[in-house]
Amino acid sequence: MFHWLEKNPFFFAVGVFVVIAFAGLIEILPNFAEASRPVAGLKPYTVLQLAGKEVYKKDNCIACHSQLIRPFKSETDRYGQYSLSGEYAYDRPFLWGSKRTGPDLHRVGNYRTTDWHENHMWDPTSVVPQSIMPAYKHMFKNIADIDTAYAEAVTVKAVFKTPYDAPNGTPLGTVDEARAAALEEAKAITADMKNQDVKDAVAAGKIPEIVALIAYLNRLK
Amino acid sequence: MNSLMIKALAFAVVLILATVAVVKGMNIDLSDPVNMLTMIGAIAIAIITAGVTTKYIGQMKSDKSSGELVGDRWDGIGEYKNELPSGWAYSFLGVIIWALWYWMVGYPVNAYSQIGEYNEETKAYNAKFEATFANPDQATLTSMGESVFLVQCAPCHGETADGLSGKAHNLTSRISKEQVLATIQKGSNQLGYAMGAMPPMLAQGADAEAVATYIAGGMKGTAPAIYSTCAACHGADGKGNNGAAPNLAAYDDTLVTHVLENGKKGSIGTMPSFKTRLTPVQEKALSTYIQTLQGAK
Repeated sequence: MFHWLEKNPFFFAVGVFVVIAFAGLIEILPNFAEASRPVAGLKPYTVLQLAGKEVYKKDNCIACHSQLIRPFKSETDRYGQYSLSGEYAYDRPFLWGSKRTGPDLHRVGNYRTTDWHENHMWDPTSVVPQSIMPAYKHMFKNIADIDTAYAEAVTVKAVFKTPYDAPNGTPLGTVDEARAAALEEAKAITADMKNQDVKDAVAAGKIPEIVALIAYLNRLK
Repeated sequence: MNSLMIKALAFAVVLILATVAVVKGMNIDLSDPVNMLTMIGAIAIAIITAGVTTKYIGQMKSDKSSGELVGDRWDGIGEYKNELPSGWAYSFLGVIIWALWYWMVGYPVNAYSQIGEYNEETKAYNAKFEATFANPDQATLTSMGESVFLVQCAPCHGETADGLSGKAHNLTSRISKEQVLATIQKGSNQLGYAMGAMPPMLAQGADAEAVATYIAGGMKGTAPAIYSTCAACHGADGKGNNGAAPNLAAYDDTLVTHVLENGKKGSIGTMPSFKTRLTPVQEKALSTYIQTLQGAK
């Protein structure tokens, strides 16, 4: 019946393309147009949080932790409200992950705090006896790369129009302003921490990775 | 019996012997049904392989093609007219009818929504939860409280609620001397009690020490004179004047609820608010469970 079509490979290919493109048009495009707008009240990451996000990527937290809460009762009971695509609008790249060896972290800022993260990253089994997560003591020593995080923020502001410096938004400013702001934010976090080396480093104007990471984790809400 | 069958059988026998040799060689315990089943499975696979191979190689050698050719020739290659097997064809028709039902009746214009299903499931679950636990008794509350505690509280307070050697508040006793002293020093206005803020430095030096020892010790014996300052809000017995101020002597429902809903930044660390994460029944259950922990250590 369709042999005439099979004899015209070019038109056959066009036909296949039209059928598949139609599904793409009605299923994918509306989602881009609506749901991926930033949710109301979403602010871009501060420079310190971005530096923490870099630590999160560098130490490959994504290998064991997802950042996507699916709309199932069992998940929302444990992790909170299911994730919306608009919440990732300023995540470049998003860190959904696909493997949950550990729990989901998309809203970890709602139910864990600075002091817990400090204990947990130093020695996970001291707070969760059955934990198989390794300790991340090097984060207490290594210094976070604030300048690269600033460069990243400047880039997404210029290229993707991420609304830094908007009224009531996240200020960015010059690199010196950004360094000073990151240090202020770090000081507020170390006030809740106990590790003396970290406190000394921040007092001396350096920000250890653990502080940046905690800033990022506390931001995940 | 042709030569092909003989070869296949010989091959199967070799495979079976190899299987048995491995089982014997590795000293595998065949009284364990899993091991037994695995060995039987391996032998079955050897036999089936031999049978299938014989059948299809034989067919390739002897079969002749026959039937009616369709009109078209593709570079001289023809194609037989093969009708669809009727079962296959009817299932296909059935799927088309089901698709029409799905589009027109089941979920008109693709109306299925994952979020909608989630909302319905949550609503049904919440209704069931409320009906089941409308008037829970003590035992139900305690066991529910333990479950909630192990999920929501144990990561910080520890599975035995002892605060993991000072990493969080120890829930097996009311309050430590250091915590009382820290609160006296800094004051407190975090828990949303009707009494409002507690100003800092209401007691100092030796007075503060004495009252902290008294409160941390479970408020036994004679109260130090300075306790009258505390008693103004917390009550002479320390129980918080029926929920107007935090209970210093023991955990009660009001205290646990206030802490859960407002969170608390204390001398040890910060506890987040659990306001949207727990239902009132779960909060009461937690309070009941925490009260059973007192003096248990």
